[in-house]
Amino acid sequence: MSTVTYLEAIGQAIREEMLRDEAVFLLGEDVGTYGGAFKVSAGLLEEFGPERVIDTPMAEAAIIGSAVGAALMGMRPIAEMQFIDFITCGFDQIINMASKMYWRVGMPVPMVIRGPAGGGTKGGPFHSASPEAWFFHTPGIKVVVPSTTYDAKGMLKAAIRDNNPVLYLEHKLLYRLPELREELPTEDYIVPLGKAITRRDGEDMTVLTYGAMVYQCLRAAQTLEQEDDLEVEVIDLRSLSPLDLETILESVKRTNKVLIVHEDTLTGGIGAELSAILAEDLFEYLDGPITRVAAPDVAFPYAPPLEAAYLPNAEKILTAARKLAAY
Amino acid sequence: MPTPVKMPRLGESVAEGTVGTWLKNEGDWVERDESLAEIITDKINAELPSPVAGRLAKILVKTDETVAVGVDIALIEENADVASAPPVAAAPGPDAAPVRSTEQAATPVMESARASVGNGMNRANGATTSRQESPVEEEERQRISPLARRLAHEHDIDLNQIAGTGNGGRVRKEDILAYVAQRQATPVAAPTMPSRPAQPAQTLSLPTYTAYAEPVPPTAPPTTVGADEELVTPSRMRLAIAEHMVRSKRTSPHATTVVEVDMTNIAKWLEKNKQDFRQREGYGISFVPFVMKAVCEGIRKVPMINSSWTPDNKIVIKKHINLGMAVATDAGLVVPTIYDADQFTLAGLAKQISTVAQRARANKLTIQDMQNSTFVVNNPGTFGTIISVPIINQPHAGILSMDSVVKRPVVIEDDAIAVRSMMYLCLSFDHRILDGAGAGGFLQAVRTKLQSYGREIDVY
Repeated sequence: MSTVTYLEAIGQAIREEMLRDEAVFLLGEDVGTYGGAFKVSAGLLEEFGPERVIDTPMAEAAIIGSAVGAALMGMRPIAEMQFIDFITCGFDQIINMASKMYWRVGMPVPMVIRGPAGGGTKGGPFHSASPEAWFFHTPGIKVVVPSTTYDAKGMLKAAIRDNNPVLYLEHKLLYRLPELREELPTEDYIVPLGKAITRRDGEDMTVLTYGAMVYQCLRAAQTLEQEDDLEVEVIDLRSLSPLDLETILESVKRTNKVLIVHEDTLTGGIGAELSAILAEDLFEYLDGPITRVAAPDVAFPYAPPLEAAYLPNAEKILTAARKLAAY
Repeated sequence: MPTPVKMPRLGESVAEGTVGTWLKNEGDWVERDESLAEIITDKINAELPSPVAGRLAKILVKTDETVAVGVDIALIEENADVASAPPVAAAPGPDAAPVRSTEQAATPVMESARASVGNGMNRANGATTSRQESPVEEEERQRISPLARRLAHEHDIDLNQIAGTGNGGRVRKEDILAYVAQRQATPVAAPTMPSRPAQPAQTLSLPTYTAYAEPVPPTAPPTTVGADEELVTPSRMRLAIAEHMVRSKRTSPHATTVVEVDMTNIAKWLEKNKQDFRQREGYGISFVPFVMKAVCEGIRKVPMINSSWTPDNKIVIKKHINLGMAVATDAGLVVPTIYDADQFTLAGLAKQISTVAQRARANKLTIQDMQNSTFVVNNPGTFGTIISVPIINQPHAGILSMDSVVKRPVVIEDDAIAVRSMMYLCLSFDHRILDGAGAGGFLQAVRTKLQSYGREIDVY
């Protein structure tokens, strides 16, 4: 049994679900003949044919709109955004159609929108987006962000089987990372949506994070253990909508200090909502200010030195964590 | 919106107070600063002035009831005309310690993030306004995390008894937990109840002091006494003193330096004029006002002696010279304040000393008497001592002990030996603030002033 990458795990999930359920199909730009811009769907056109692996025009509103219609008719479409940045072109279809349809007409919309998100690849302002906050704000759509190869496969399968529209964000920096190569179970498995996972136990502080930032947080936590004698708990949220409040609140109640880290910009981000929840529910359990580390409120920069300065990293997390610990 | 009247802090290390008598009844009209009640603490009895003018709407703490410093004891409704006006900010007691709103939560990372917003937008403005802290009673506030506040409440802990170890002295989780662990291990710590029934002050147990007075290892067994020993539970005042002394020794690295002063001329003048002075003025005069006067002179030369080292490692130099004067009373040691001591003549100082000492011995010291001293002059010489090494009264930079003036053979000018009235002055100083040179310079100035008097002294 060989190991697979995060990217291959996504491809496996799509293929296995297409084999398992005939209603599942994939549509997007270059997903067929070309096998996807990142080769996620390589070989699928040959295996399933052009009716289930559909190359579309460059029109995200059409891709998502078609997926909404198909889902309403009982299909389970997977709509790929070539880069997640372009999801904005299909915004209306998501906000006004996919997420509201169940409340409006009582018909579920079982569809997945997925695509490569995140920066660190020198992709500049149009190929580095972390768009989760827009959809996190929207009722009626789930938002999930896997950070490991195991989760990438298990959560995509769960997303495809879910009866709600699910936005599934893949971090492109993790696609082929050798460290993330993993031997996956041979049998069918899913990772249920809405469950966070503790990546590292600790009693001195809780770090809430997701996506590629999980690894920056784990690095910072290791330094904090070695240099500061601090045991930091790192929780990988995995599912942003819905949030696993049980896990989050239990941890913060125990550690009494919380640091929130995300790659998305600061204002109105996931961290803002988490802060509000924690302040409301756990005010008297807090031994320090809820602290956020996030990207600054500017457009994603192109120049490599600026990108490096823009992205949160272990060093910035360390600085914030030390300040919070000393509070 | 009625204004709460809080239990004042009567003395540095006092955590509680008992309402002795209410001087006003519910419904009575009171002027601002008019006495509302008599407050009894382990240190002093004092009358509590009303913080505002208005009607005493409600008495919250009955006569003989004891509550922690800062607790609301009454509500005063201000002028009925303004009853519909916006709520008046609560006027805290003289030394109430409301909780400071949390420091801004931004991390350095976020600061730089904000700074990088090119157009500034309204974001920065919003952030600034929301972080502005209420200017009310800024200097008296204690920093504490929300969790620590809740834990303190649950464990019935007076937060004023806890020294915070967080940034800026903030009380946080570990401080409370360490304190609770220590308290549980302290044998004399009696269980405390959330609301105490009225009890005579002296039977109240005060576990909060004991933890500081003598930290007991968590595993220490309760003290037991043999047949030939007697176990004494210290009085509240004893515990308060113990706490202060331990804290002072832990806080300030004490260094002590001693000079010898020739007091002959002053001694002779006193011998000759003491009786007349008392008859004329109605109060006595002793060596103490001379030393105090000289201390003021020394402080003017070395202002650093009149300062405090702050928890955030700054030094605050006090412009006013308020001399604390250690007075032994039947109940124990109190240190009332003589305000602006440098503004008095020798006779004026003598009068201040006399009235303050009288108030102390009659247990009539006021709240004001117990606050704001900047330096202490101690006079163990009255007990016949010749050299004393005093402990600093926190948060001062130093303390001066004057010992007995005794006749000694002294080598004077031209190598002659003469009988002179000599006195040792011992200065304990905080070595963080001053070095030997500064302390020596101060003592030198004090001695020079004391030795500058001739046979005739004008005390007015």
